[in-house]
Amino acid sequence: MSALIWTLVAGIGGAGWAMLALHRGETVNAAWLVLAAVGTYLIAYRFYSRFLANRVVGLNDARVTPAHRLANGRDFVPTSRWVLFGHHFAAIAGAGPLVGPVLAAQFGYLPGTIWIVVGVILGGAVQDFVILAASVRRDGKSLGQMAKEEIGPFTGVLAMVAILAIMVILLAVLALVIVKALAESPWGVFTLLCTIPIALGMGFWMKVVRPGKTLEATAAGIVLLLLALVAGRWIAASPTLAPVFTLSATTLSWGLMGYGFIASVLPVWMLLAPRDYLSTFVKLGTIVGLAFGIVLTLPVMKLPAVTQFVNGTGPVFAGSLFPFCFITIACGAISGFHALVSSGTTPKMLDRESDARVIGYGAMLMESLVAVMAICAASILDPGVYFAMNAPLALLGGDAAHAVLAVQHWGFTLAPGQIEAVARSVGETTLLARTGGAPTLAVGMAQILSGVFGRPLMALWYHFAIMFEALFILTTIDAGTRVGRFMIQELGGHFWKPVGRISSYPSAILTSAVIVAAWGWFLLQGVTDPLGGINSLWPMFGISNQLLAAVALSVGTTLIIRAGRARYAWTTLLPLTWLLAVTSTASWQKMFSADPRLGFLSHAAETAAAVTAGSLGAARGARLVFNDRIDAVLCALFLAITWAVVLSSARVWLRGSRLAAPQLARPDEAKGVA
Amino acid sequence: MRDLVARWAQTVRRIAGMPNYEAYVEHLGACHPECPVPSEREYYELYLKVRYERGGMRCC
Repeated sequence: MSALIWTLVAGIGGAGWAMLALHRGETVNAAWLVLAAVGTYLIAYRFYSRFLANRVVGLNDARVTPAHRLANGRDFVPTSRWVLFGHHFAAIAGAGPLVGPVLAAQFGYLPGTIWIVVGVILGGAVQDFVILAASVRRDGKSLGQMAKEEIGPFTGVLAMVAILAIMVILLAVLALVIVKALAESPWGVFTLLCTIPIALGMGFWMKVVRPGKTLEATAAGIVLLLLALVAGRWIAASPTLAPVFTLSATTLSWGLMGYGFIASVLPVWMLLAPRDYLSTFVKLGTIVGLAFGIVLTLPVMKLPAVTQFVNGTGPVFAGSLFPFCFITIACGAISGFHALVSSGTTPKMLDRESDARVIGYGAMLMESLVAVMAICAASILDPGVYFAMNAPLALLGGDAAHAVLAVQHWGFTLAPGQIEAVARSVGETTLLARTGGAPTLAVGMAQILSGVFGRPLMALWYHFAIMFEALFILTTIDAGTRVGRFMIQELGGHFWKPVGRISSYPSAILTSAVIVAAWGWFLLQGVTDPLGGINSLWPMFGISNQLLAAVALSVGTTLIIRAGRARYAWTTLLPLTWLLAVTSTASWQKMFSADPRLGFLSHAAETAAAVTAGSLGAARGARLVFNDRIDAVLCALFLAITWAVVLSSARVWLRGSRLAAPQLARPDEAKGVA
Repeated sequence: MRDLVARWAQTVRRIAGMPNYEAYVEHLGACHPECPVPSEREYYELYLKVRYERGGMRCC
């Protein structure tokens, strides 16, 4: 019976891939893409994750988890499998798996989809699962602590620096995504601004009026949020109010920096906790909505399976398919950030060891499915509309009339007036060069959802999607600035004691300012970049995220080898090798490529030449050159950290395979039963 | 019916990582009967401290 079911699942997945393969050169229904992915996930979960659980890690329910051993009713709480699955998924799913695939759609829908599916099965889900299992056996220790204890103190410090650098780039690029989505959009700005008083009100309610009654406050908050969304339409239509909420990209950037600074200094009950709840529910609701929308409308994908831009000439971001497809899509396939969650709250809540399989491996498969749906949402747009929205204004020629020609030049069709019509239908003045992925995803989602609920609601759905992305990006900015602040306080406390006092106001203000200045600098650089910012910042984010994944996989490999299971170390070495090839090639090209669109240094040289020739102001030129050099240095730093961690781990592997100490379990525990 | 709603609310709270006063009181009663039971207000303070002490990072 079981064999029959699994043959059927394999057949469905296979049929999906076959449909994609056979329909080259004509349009394909998005349903086949989703079926191919789901069928493959199920097979991988049934067979590969079982191999990982039984052979590689040796999960054993006889071993008591920290949730029971250290139960304190607060963070160490045994939680039933499916509840924890939901909790873990809500913690790992964010803007990343939605934005990356939209950008990578410039290569066509097929390369991205294959990477998302294969990458998650052999890479991302393996990483999340191995780190979760390892952390569970070490009382819920964090990735940094494990790196320090299992590999060495130097690697521990490197891991810390890597996490801090990634945080800065992550915050900058996410902030840039909402700046690009909200600039010159009074509706979006109004809705987002409303989330601040709503969150403050919720916070006050939960802390002062009815302490701890979070559910009722959140329900009220969501209703108010939806009202704000509807009210945004009136604001955008009002001739007096619309200009008040129409902000330039630069103004928005300064506003975000101010918000991030204030939010990270305020007590958590005021903004962070209420925002956290709001964005969790809106996020889960939207993902479920998107899934239902795709299943109910079965949209047809208009984007080609593969575009000519695999050669690296694409307008959305520079660089060829290898390595940049695998850098652009980080979160849906493999995301180093997840290692922080898998070694954070989740291991402290795991009821039984065997639950780690569905939570570590399974939740990541779900996240990957979200990424596949994001590709679908981007691919159902007319390719002409997709490129007009995602190419920088400089490449589009500056206005809608020139954009029609530019898109034609790239080999796609954009009818005169088409992009304006789409903009009007979603309640925006323009959609040209709305880079960053969020507006594209929002248009795609609006098309899908209005297919279910009717055309007239299209503008509302578009702004719902924008609000949902902006909401949780703002939450990430709040939380991330705070995390960065704590890290600087911890690092700085070694040198000057007063900085290390976490809750002292002078220290909090100083360190928050430092972290906001760091990401704000990259944000402003992106906003003023003539090529649109996303072009240079998103690849840097991808590189840094994959770097963290390489650190996590090195730790994972170390743990497997030290547990005396070196013969299974290929399970983590395989994705690690791939990531090393990808990140090394990508950072090398970002530094030294002779193409000024791709290489930072050649872009700096080109800018300097333009200044000498007199076509660019000296002050602006000098700033651009300086930006390029900083970016190049950061790439070099990423590359150096990655290799330092891998090489220092490799030393432990060579020693460890001789020692073969059963360390995957804590020393006082029995070796797992295979 | 009332029971069902309460259980459902419990599940939703746990998924979102919200405070769970009843579970905490239950835990105290079972494991540390000698400890005083905090009020819901005190518990909420404690919860915020534990959950966000490292900044409460979510994923990208």
